[in-house]
Amino acid sequence: MTTTTRILTVDDSPSMRALLNHALTAQGFDVSQAEDGMAALDWLALNEVDVVITDINMPRLDGFGLIERLREGSRHRDRPILVLTTESSEEKKARARAAGATGWIVKPFDPAKLVAAVRRVSH
Amino acid sequence: MFHKPILPNPSGLERVTVMQGQALASADATLEFSTVLGSCVATCLFDPDARVGGMNHFLLAEPPAGYGTAVDEHYGLYLMELLVNEMLAKGARKSKLKAHLYGGANVNRNMMKIGSVNAEFARKFLANEGIALMREDLGGTQARRVDFRPASGQVRLRTVEDRLAPPVQPTARPAKSLGDVELF
Repeated sequence: MTTTTRILTVDDSPSMRALLNHALTAQGFDVSQAEDGMAALDWLALNEVDVVITDINMPRLDGFGLIERLREGSRHRDRPILVLTTESSEEKKARARAAGATGWIVKPFDPAKLVAAVRRVSH
Repeated sequence: MFHKPILPNPSGLERVTVMQGQALASADATLEFSTVLGSCVATCLFDPDARVGGMNHFLLAEPPAGYGTAVDEHYGLYLMELLVNEMLAKGARKSKLKAHLYGGANVNRNMMKIGSVNAEFARKFLANEGIALMREDLGGTQARRVDFRPASGQVRLRTVEDRLAPPVQPTARPAKSLGDVELF
């Protein structure tokens, strides 16, 4: 028996959220969306999720801040968090890793690779 | 401010060519971004408060096999996001951004109307993101040259001979390791 994997996508671009939503729901995932780190924290306080996919550059609370805040508490300490970003610098990647990210994906994303990564970290 | 014509003698300015696949932003008053467009589209963004401007130059790519749609929007979206992020990194605010769109000509009448597809993608992106489109010069059949001064938002637009524009064939998805996944 399989259950649907629940994903929260965090990105300030409505266009990117729509593209992600299309790519992930087409593969049977249950997708929710947040527009920045603060909105993601609010949503995660009330909802359960299996995987978080977050952008880095966002207003109010960026991806680094979101990961740090989620890792501070016990509830999301082991939650898989994939960073999906236009950033290509090694320094930013190292920072995401140090903050507790599970993986790093560079945009523009390949839907097949993204889905494979989600399946891998959610099992 | 965004609509003032540029004087014909840009002495002392450093001209930076924005190539297909690039997105650049600056607050430097001695810079001028320049590009030549056939079917490609250039987005010029300007924050009049921060006096920061930026330009990208994109052509939507053909989709990977089995992707199912006429064009692959991932690459265009990537270049739009890259431009917005460059603007924000230079001190612009997203809520203040004003946009111009240029290009999207259907230069080769035998091809699919890739210029129109690019133009429609760019318009849709700006509408979705809530970025005000102040001016557009899109479509038609002639290549264009755009000169844009990022610190003032001034634009000069000219039509040019088609042979000066980059090739109009939709490019394959960029070869560099796009979408690569690294699990920590």
